[in-house]
Amino acid sequence: MQDQLSALLAKAAAELPAIKNRPDFESTKARYVGPNGELTALMKQMGAVPKEQRPAAGKLINEAKGQLQVHLDAALARIGDAEIAAQLGPAVDPTLASPDFGPGTQHPLTLVREEMCRILRKVGFTVADGPEVETEYYCFDALNTPSDHPARDAKDTFYFPTTARFGNVSKKVAEERYLLRTHTSSVQIRTMLKGEPPIRIVSPGRVYRRDTTDATHSANFHQLECLYVDKNVTVRDLKALLDYIFASLLGKETKTRFRPHYFGYTEPSFEVDLTASHLPKVKKPWIEIGGCGMVDPTVFEAVGYDPAVWSGYAFGMGLERLAMLLYGIDDIRYFYQNDLRFLKQFA
Amino acid sequence: MKISLNWTRDYVKLDASVEEISRAITFLGFEVESVHVTGAPKLDHVVVGEILTRGKHPNADKLSVCTVDVGPAGGVKTIVCGAPNCDAGNRVLVALPGAVLPGDFQIKQSKIRGQSSDGMMCSADELGMEGDHSGLLLLPDRPALGLSIAQALPGGDTVFDVEITPNRPDCQSHLGLARELAAWFKLPLIYPQEKFRGDVSGAPVRTDLLHGVCVDDAEDCPLYSAFVIAGVKIGPSPAWLQERLKAVGLRPVNNVVDVGNYVLLETGQPLHAFDAKKLGGGEIVVRRAVDGEKITTLDGKERVLSDRMLVIADADKPVVIAGIMGGDNSGVSSDTTDLVLECAVFNRQSIRWTSRKLGLSSDSSYRYERGVDAHAALEAAYRAIDLILETAGGQVAGPRFLVGGTAPWQREIVVTHDFITERLGFDIPAADMRAAFESLELTVTREEPTTHPARGPAWTVSIPSWRDDLDRPIDLVEEVLRLYGTEKIPAAVVKSPGLLAEDDPIVVFNRRVTEYLVGHDFHECVNYTLRPAKEVATWVSAVAAQELALANPFVEDQSHLRPTLIAGLIEVLKLNQSRGVAVSRLAETGRIFVDSNGQNLECAAVGFIIAEPVAERSWRKREPADFYSAKHHVTALAAAAGVDLARQPLTADTGANGWQDGQSAAAGELTQQGWFARFGLLNLALAKSLGVEGKVYAGMFAILPEKLTSAVTRRRFSEFSLFPSALRDLAIVVDTAVAATQVQKALLKSARAAVGNSFAVENVGVFDVYQGAGLPEGKKSLAFSLVFRSAERTLTDDEVNAVFQKIQDDLAKMPDYQIRK
Repeated sequence: MQDQLSALLAKAAAELPAIKNRPDFESTKARYVGPNGELTALMKQMGAVPKEQRPAAGKLINEAKGQLQVHLDAALARIGDAEIAAQLGPAVDPTLASPDFGPGTQHPLTLVREEMCRILRKVGFTVADGPEVETEYYCFDALNTPSDHPARDAKDTFYFPTTARFGNVSKKVAEERYLLRTHTSSVQIRTMLKGEPPIRIVSPGRVYRRDTTDATHSANFHQLECLYVDKNVTVRDLKALLDYIFASLLGKETKTRFRPHYFGYTEPSFEVDLTASHLPKVKKPWIEIGGCGMVDPTVFEAVGYDPAVWSGYAFGMGLERLAMLLYGIDDIRYFYQNDLRFLKQFA
Repeated sequence: MKISLNWTRDYVKLDASVEEISRAITFLGFEVESVHVTGAPKLDHVVVGEILTRGKHPNADKLSVCTVDVGPAGGVKTIVCGAPNCDAGNRVLVALPGAVLPGDFQIKQSKIRGQSSDGMMCSADELGMEGDHSGLLLLPDRPALGLSIAQALPGGDTVFDVEITPNRPDCQSHLGLARELAAWFKLPLIYPQEKFRGDVSGAPVRTDLLHGVCVDDAEDCPLYSAFVIAGVKIGPSPAWLQERLKAVGLRPVNNVVDVGNYVLLETGQPLHAFDAKKLGGGEIVVRRAVDGEKITTLDGKERVLSDRMLVIADADKPVVIAGIMGGDNSGVSSDTTDLVLECAVFNRQSIRWTSRKLGLSSDSSYRYERGVDAHAALEAAYRAIDLILETAGGQVAGPRFLVGGTAPWQREIVVTHDFITERLGFDIPAADMRAAFESLELTVTREEPTTHPARGPAWTVSIPSWRDDLDRPIDLVEEVLRLYGTEKIPAAVVKSPGLLAEDDPIVVFNRRVTEYLVGHDFHECVNYTLRPAKEVATWVSAVAAQELALANPFVEDQSHLRPTLIAGLIEVLKLNQSRGVAVSRLAETGRIFVDSNGQNLECAAVGFIIAEPVAERSWRKREPADFYSAKHHVTALAAAAGVDLARQPLTADTGANGWQDGQSAAAGELTQQGWFARFGLLNLALAKSLGVEGKVYAGMFAILPEKLTSAVTRRRFSEFSLFPSALRDLAIVVDTAVAATQVQKALLKSARAAVGNSFAVENVGVFDVYQGAGLPEGKKSLAFSLVFRSAERTLTDDEVNAVFQKIQDDLAKMPDYQIRK
């Protein structure tokens, strides 16, 4: 029996390592330990072994069985490893670039706009919106811009034919013309007419000027305006807001200054400069960034607020200009060409 | 406007530096666009020297070797010079070693053709000054040796180019800006002394020169005054006057014309001088032009006039386009001996309209458009008469003509110290406020205590006629702040009260969809809203191209509102492809304008395209996008607006402009649902004609802004079963044209009926679509997976089989559907 067992083990040791897959393994295993297997057959002979020899024979068989199991386990483990290896395929080269497109990018104007909105939201401003097609009333009359003001001239403002109808842009008076808004201040008027003070809004949006397109001018561009209406609003509050905005945007060392100016819808009015020495491509100590002022009483009267009770300020700036300053972009047309090599730089 | 510092100093004795003055102008509220310094530059190491000897250069014919005494600046120097006029005895300017001349020309001790030279004698040109550059700049006044150039030469001038805001026409003049600077520097304002005060009572009467002035249109010409000056001698104006005009960029013409310009720039009041002998009929008529009437203006161009334009005419012809430019038929020339001086006020709108219409503007029209002070007009005429008599001689003759005029000016504003302080948010002492008013000639006529004893005074402020912009107490707040200095507004903590509202729903929508698209690897683009007519017609319709047109486009290819975002994205695609930049996914949010039943609707929209990345080669290919990729994204975008596209009927496109038939679809309608969606494959032929390579899938969702709401519908939790599901598959053969949803709905209905209340049909979904071999022509097979589940128990095969059989029996009754065995 010992010889038989030895022969059996030798055969198993020789053939098991060569087995490639699970079905072959199972059939081979069955040839040894299956119901009709060789080892099973030897075990069945135990009944014929004389009683006094049985312990020794049993021991031999158990040993052989144990050794066979080692071979089987090893073979199974090897097959399992091979299966996983086959499933995995060759190792990746982690340095290869992903063939997937992406990542996507937000447009730099969106990035700047959203950053400004976040900064303003922290101090109580929510974002308002309004139509881009406007009427003379909302764009000019209500903002204390008299009918003969040069800004209203067809040389500077886009108008629609008198026959044009815009179903969802309301007119104040039937005779007024539709136009493309020249500033987002029309949103201030619509917001004030719709609601009651106090009001704190920021209105970013697209505006239109009849202008030659060049490195710094574009037929449409984007503005961002703030309007704050409450009791006892002061020039000092306005200055505090501007200081806050630009310190948040550009760092605490950034300073702003006001220069007196003239706008029809604010009194007093200012132009805002900020220290720019740390901005890319700016060589001047101060750079103009926007206009602001205290809301003119005539504007409050136009929307039915009592200027003796309510006061407020407004601030506006160009988003392209801000983005150009922040990123050091020197041509406004890049924003509208959307060359991916441009878009991918800011995300 | 250009402001000469020398000139300004006639009215205010400024001794501040150019930088301080520039800063003052800036913080008074006027932008200094540039500062130009004329005259001798202030250069170091450039001093006065006298040429002692002149000898020939041993090695060069055209050079001289001079000894030059620069006195205390270094004694006698030897200098090689090439100028023809380096004669002994001349005093000249010597640039010594260390000097840096304009153009970064550094002067050093040097050797010229073997002869050492201790510096350079300078021509005007080399010093950056205007003048003769053919020889050395000689100093005939013989300033002391060794004096610096700054001490030796008259200082030149500083000219500020200042942008005057439209509310301050009074500052379109040297006197006006001088008034502001006097207030800023707390200096007195010195008015020019006038001799002539309008009195012609003793003067000879020369009705032969001018016998009548008639104003036909008093509305457009509220004031017209004419003075006769006889016996003038036309010639060049004196040097001081020429210098002034040249400094601010005007070319001197002759004494009379120069005086007119001078007074305009001094006071802001335009004047016009005629040659009295050229006025036909000896009369002046201020009237509207006749349509088609012509005049050749001083610039030599013939202008055709219309009846809305105001002219100054004589008995026969127009001689001036009122307030804008004179004609060449009546102006002052070298042989003029008698003048008629016009001083008038014209209507701003009339001047602006005519100036725009003719494309003709002048210093005069510029000021009339912004408004001149009618109450000071005659003062300017008196000033001009003084200067004409001074520079051209002659004498004022009668009669004087004055038509129209204005009521005496009077305006007062009452403002309190408290009012100003409340607006400013910080305190400025009452005395300083009052001083600010007074310095601007805003005379305080009364100061009274206010009712509350702790509070500051109330002032009655008299407003001068040139400050028509000051009308209300708030206007005086600005005056106080300007003179106090806006740089001194104290810092404060920003007020940050709580939010009063939510962001506008459009803003929220745009933010959501942008984040979604960027998260799905799209590049956000920004395109122009204004598009060419052809593009609108191509992508939407010829009707849209009519409805969306601007009345006054600036350029032809930006004449229409955009009705779609896709056209712009295609342009971006093309640009990137043509530049060899790998590009596929592009997106944009923004307004589009849709014509609908004769009216336009402004919509918030989001659009995207997915293009085959034609140019790009990749080491591993990815599954290309298809119709269903576009559908997937549009569904997500619609969801951001609260629209569940899965519940909306979709129509397959046929004949939609821009989209490929049979490969694209649409849902919604603006006038019905208030939104619409369109997606699928863009028209291949169109894309190709636009120069785009490969297939482009696209999608757009647009919604009326008023349909977007910020209202949140709170979702409710619904229970789900923890028992296993039971699945059955069923393939149904239908006509290829039959929509999958139609079959799915029928199947779902049938399944629900079969199940009854015993358990639930959880889902009926397509898992395979087949067309081809084994099926008849024109048929397709839709394979559905039916999912059943009970909330209470594990379903048995028998009960599911029974239901499944019922469904099949039910379907067998429907002739359009065949169960595929």
